[in-house]
Amino acid sequence: MSDLAVTGTPEVAVDGALAARPLPDSAQTWSEERVPARVPAALLPPSTRSPGRRLAAWRSRHRLRAARAQAYYDGSLHPERALPVATRGVVGRFALALVRSRRRTVVALLVLHALAALAGLVVPRVVGRLVDQTAAGGTSVDSVDALALAVGAVVVVQAVLTFLALRMSVLFGQDLLASAREQVVDTVLALPLGRVESASSGDLVTRVTRDVSEMSRSVRYGLPEAAVAAATTVLTIGAMLLNSLFLAVPLLLSLPVLVVAVRRYLARAAQGYVTEGGTYSLINTSLTETVEGARTVEALGLQERRNTVNDDDIAESSQAERYTMALRNLLFGGLGLAFDTPLVLVLALGAYGYARGWVTLGQLTAATLYLQALKEPLQRLIRNLDQLQVGIASTARLLGVAEVPQDREAGDALPVGSRLTGTDLRFAYRPGRDVLHGVDLALRPGERLAIVGPSGSGKSTLGRLLAGINGPRTGSVTVGGVELLELPLPVLRTEVALVTQEHHVFAGSVRDNVVLAREDAGDDVVLEALRTVEALDWVERLPHGLDTRLGSGHLEPTPSQAQQIALARLVVADPHTLVLDEATSLIDPTTARHLEGSMAALLADRTVVAIAHRLHTAHDADRIAVVIDGRIAELGSHHDLVAADGEYARLWRAWTS
Amino acid sequence: MHDFPPLVHAYSDGPAGAPERGEVFRHPDLRGPKRFLLWLLRQQWQVVVVACLVSMLEWLPGSVGPYVIGRVIDDGIRAGDPGTTVRLLLVLLGLVLVGVVAGVLYHTLVVRSWLIGMYGPMKLVTRKSTQLGSVLSRRSPTGEVLSVSASDSDEFGGLTQIVSEAVGAFIATLVIAGLVLSTSVPLGLLVLVAAPLIVLLVVPLFRPLQRREETERNRSSELTGLATDIVAGLRILRGIGGERTFGRNYATQSDLTRRAGVSAGIWQAAVDSCGVLLSGLFLVLLVWLGTRSVLSGGLSVGELVSFAGYAVFMVWPVQSFFTFAQKWIRSIVSARKAVTLLTEDPPWDAGDPTLALPREGALADDRSGFVAEPGRMTALVSAVPEESAALADRLGRYLPARRGAVGLDVDATLHGRALRRARDEQRARRRAVAAEDRAVANGRTGVTLGGVDLGEVPVRAVRERVLVSDASSSTFAGTLQSVLDPHGRLTREQAEAAVHAAVAEDVYEALPGGWQGVVEERGRGLSGGQRQRLVLARALALEPDVLVLVEPTSAVDAHTEAEIGVRLRAARSGRTTVVVTASPLLLHQADTVALLHDGRVVETGTHEELLHGSAAYRRVVTRSAVDQWEASDV
Repeated sequence: MSDLAVTGTPEVAVDGALAARPLPDSAQTWSEERVPARVPAALLPPSTRSPGRRLAAWRSRHRLRAARAQAYYDGSLHPERALPVATRGVVGRFALALVRSRRRTVVALLVLHALAALAGLVVPRVVGRLVDQTAAGGTSVDSVDALALAVGAVVVVQAVLTFLALRMSVLFGQDLLASAREQVVDTVLALPLGRVESASSGDLVTRVTRDVSEMSRSVRYGLPEAAVAAATTVLTIGAMLLNSLFLAVPLLLSLPVLVVAVRRYLARAAQGYVTEGGTYSLINTSLTETVEGARTVEALGLQERRNTVNDDDIAESSQAERYTMALRNLLFGGLGLAFDTPLVLVLALGAYGYARGWVTLGQLTAATLYLQALKEPLQRLIRNLDQLQVGIASTARLLGVAEVPQDREAGDALPVGSRLTGTDLRFAYRPGRDVLHGVDLALRPGERLAIVGPSGSGKSTLGRLLAGINGPRTGSVTVGGVELLELPLPVLRTEVALVTQEHHVFAGSVRDNVVLAREDAGDDVVLEALRTVEALDWVERLPHGLDTRLGSGHLEPTPSQAQQIALARLVVADPHTLVLDEATSLIDPTTARHLEGSMAALLADRTVVAIAHRLHTAHDADRIAVVIDGRIAELGSHHDLVAADGEYARLWRAWTS
Repeated sequence: MHDFPPLVHAYSDGPAGAPERGEVFRHPDLRGPKRFLLWLLRQQWQVVVVACLVSMLEWLPGSVGPYVIGRVIDDGIRAGDPGTTVRLLLVLLGLVLVGVVAGVLYHTLVVRSWLIGMYGPMKLVTRKSTQLGSVLSRRSPTGEVLSVSASDSDEFGGLTQIVSEAVGAFIATLVIAGLVLSTSVPLGLLVLVAAPLIVLLVVPLFRPLQRREETERNRSSELTGLATDIVAGLRILRGIGGERTFGRNYATQSDLTRRAGVSAGIWQAAVDSCGVLLSGLFLVLLVWLGTRSVLSGGLSVGELVSFAGYAVFMVWPVQSFFTFAQKWIRSIVSARKAVTLLTEDPPWDAGDPTLALPREGALADDRSGFVAEPGRMTALVSAVPEESAALADRLGRYLPARRGAVGLDVDATLHGRALRRARDEQRARRRAVAAEDRAVANGRTGVTLGGVDLGEVPVRAVRERVLVSDASSSTFAGTLQSVLDPHGRLTREQAEAAVHAAVAEDVYEALPGGWQGVVEERGRGLSGGQRQRLVLARALALEPDVLVLVEPTSAVDAHTEAEIGVRLRAARSGRTTVVVTASPLLLHQADTVALLHDGRVVETGTHEELLHGSAAYRRVVTRSAVDQWEASDV
């Protein structure tokens, strides 16, 4: 640091490097209206008392809510910047494949449910017969007792069958669910490297949390309940037909009403419920922000603001609830008419038919009992159909993850030597907007290269290309003569590593957290890596040593311990080249001083590319590359660049003054 | 009558004055979980009462219907009297229509009741969180606060719904018992005894079921945690490796969750099939006794059909009672958590609300000897960043950082004495934390502004004067305008000036839509440096009398940092500013620099003076925090 003393105090600090610039469209986009209402006024009920106008107003609100739900639903299927969504066909094939691999369970399941439903149908029939016999006066107390005992036995059998069928459903559903979610996570773990680095993780988090739980709800409740209800409904209708065709006519007449009401409902329900679910995750997201930012809320006096945001979220949720409530009301009204009026018709027909000897009292009794028993499974079936729809939408999003195309194809060639060279590198995140314009950079094995430059100049992008995260649009990055993108991932990882956000500690054991790059490595490798980064002391003091579980709810390492674990991972990976990105590695200044030795041990004998924010990083490097506007503007040692009196020299003077 | 969403004004000093119409949830009854649940019901008693009445009407066709059917058979069909048949069928049709209308009405009421019972507690949780502010994280784990809002509130909604349904079912049972009693006293008594008996027989299954469900929920949320964790660390897993290990860990937990789900599911199956068994046996018993009674001449055939109808219908009320019992048990568990959270109070004494801190004067800390002169920019440098961060907290009268908040409830799989003991221990721990907070939070702090100790005025008065912006400062999702100006008080020129001062023009440009461009939650989609400058711009825009910035540029590149130094100084000219930093680019701009060592200020001067005069200072500043890597050069 001898040059500190000789550097004078410049009169003016850096100035003009980032000239003040006006914000485009500032006047056009600034809103004077302070809090725009989240729920449009058109969705609030009018104050008029006239029933006609209120009904008209309600209808227009209902239509508006339907349009909002449809818009949200469409948006949720194809979110911006997000991963793809699978088509219905893919979902269907996926479900079929899962079911097919468990064919025997499925058959057993269906048989058990059918038997249980059949047993349930015996009772009304027997009651009908009892009625007939007693009405005819041709029965004795003994035969009634015997029949009652027999029916009692049927009830016991029905209960046992129900238990077995439900148990089978649970086993099947849980098994299906477990393998589906494991498959999803395996897919996520195989996402292309470039995609993982660029996509916002929010969409993926939503998929592995909300969509998995929606799918699980469908599988756990929706699927078995819908199966049971469908079986019961069909069998009950069959039993009614068997009991008396004549008395089944009212039910058959009401079926069209039923079909219309249910179809109308199902056409809208999924949109309604997906929107509703979205409003609840909005409430949770906002509350998460409030809770995690509680100190900021207090510091800035935002208590009332955050309470209002919560009120607005809930107001929005209320609107979604009002929409689905209206949908259900329309459905229930239709269902009630379709299911309760046939009872009156059956009795009327019964009276007419009995007088003519077409039906017996017993048939009439059985018909009324069947009708009463039909209502519940049917309601359950409809309730579960919409859950199934939501589940299908979620499954489509989950399967969409698998449709991301792989971004590289591994070849057979293995690198010879460790020379990393980039030539004519161009790269664009969006077509037509290159952020690098033909960069050439050859690393010398073992050197320290610092990349400096203003934000947005492309220095982080250069780092990602050098680490093989992304492929360049033109040009090539080779290590030992082989294209980085043609290396198998396990090989690439032992050649070059990008150090980003590496303070993440996974929920898992200490060993799990360290072995990453060489999963077959033994404890000796792990312990040696921990010793190298000076972490062995505290790890050995842990209650279960390497098996101690880390992560929330278990042992939470301090920030500097987390950093040491991250460094130990790299020691295990042992790449000859490291790309350190300070901007994204977010090395916590409060922990850095503990890590001096650990860091030094990691970097010894490796080629290091440091994307530097701190000029001292640059000062001590062998070479410095100044990246400006996607080009290397200056390249050379500290002294060369200071002597050249360019951009770097200007910054350096500001830093050391 | 109350409507949803309910208005809630608890735990905030917000708009005072007369309560608006329909406003509820002012003073929750926190004396215990049961009292809390009853209080919740009382908040919407009108809706609950009306829903009970309508529910009764909805049950009418099912309960009275069989009676009419029996009469149709006896008096109409068997008697061969078409006139009576038609009249009775019209009565039945009337009943059915009443039932349909009541069904729709009831559904409307029940949704309303559910949502009032759910949204109300949700709002209480948000208000409690904002009221507790910086101490929230010391008291309760984030995840548990969220789950009170997200899942426990839903239980409360479910409870209010099932209450009215169960009341309706109870009345329907009484109606049926009355109808049966009017024809046969022993069979009527049987109905009266059977319904509660069935419920009593099944209720013992609920607690083990609920424990298994709780285990399943825990495992499932742990599984979700693992998935989130994998996504959060996916860059590492794909960059460095480890897919197999964590795929396997997930599969293991997934299997544990599956087993818990199977275990809970089988218990649920047992409960359901017990319901089938008992309701079925009840039906058989009633029909059997009825038939015998017909044979002995006590009952008519029509009455027997009625009995069978009652018995088929009785499945419903019994099911309602089951659900009620189950939800009540769950709601108590949820209510216990809610009560625990809502009982937490901020540690600060109210103090005299008329007291305020002076606008002028130096900010001084006795313990460290640190002084920030009024109207000047003072930098604070320390070799141990934790020390300077702790001092920054003290300057703003924040409680020191603390890890490991106490959970809201104990492991739900415990029971009996172990459960009670665990609960008592946890309660004691929570009390100890609260007492410790109160002791630290009140009384003299040793930090004075213009000679007045920060502890002598209400904490609100401190927040009005002193703004501490540290690494934990977060942005909230919304338009860029709302992020920068959360209070809605700035003019466009002020907002532009703040963006300029924080050198955050690129954040503005990066968002499509200018000021109306949307910043996602926690600034997702922005780089660390962009987030940091947005937070800085927001702090500058608030123009606090005293601004304490902790490492405001740690994620910003040197070019930009140099510019921030210049503009920050200009933006804060004439105002008291403290900057905790080790960056020469900022230190160069400070009027005074204080070097902290072992909690005491050991050197004071300008950056140049200290750079030349103090070896300790030079060591800290020139070996600034992040560039450790060249240490290996030696």
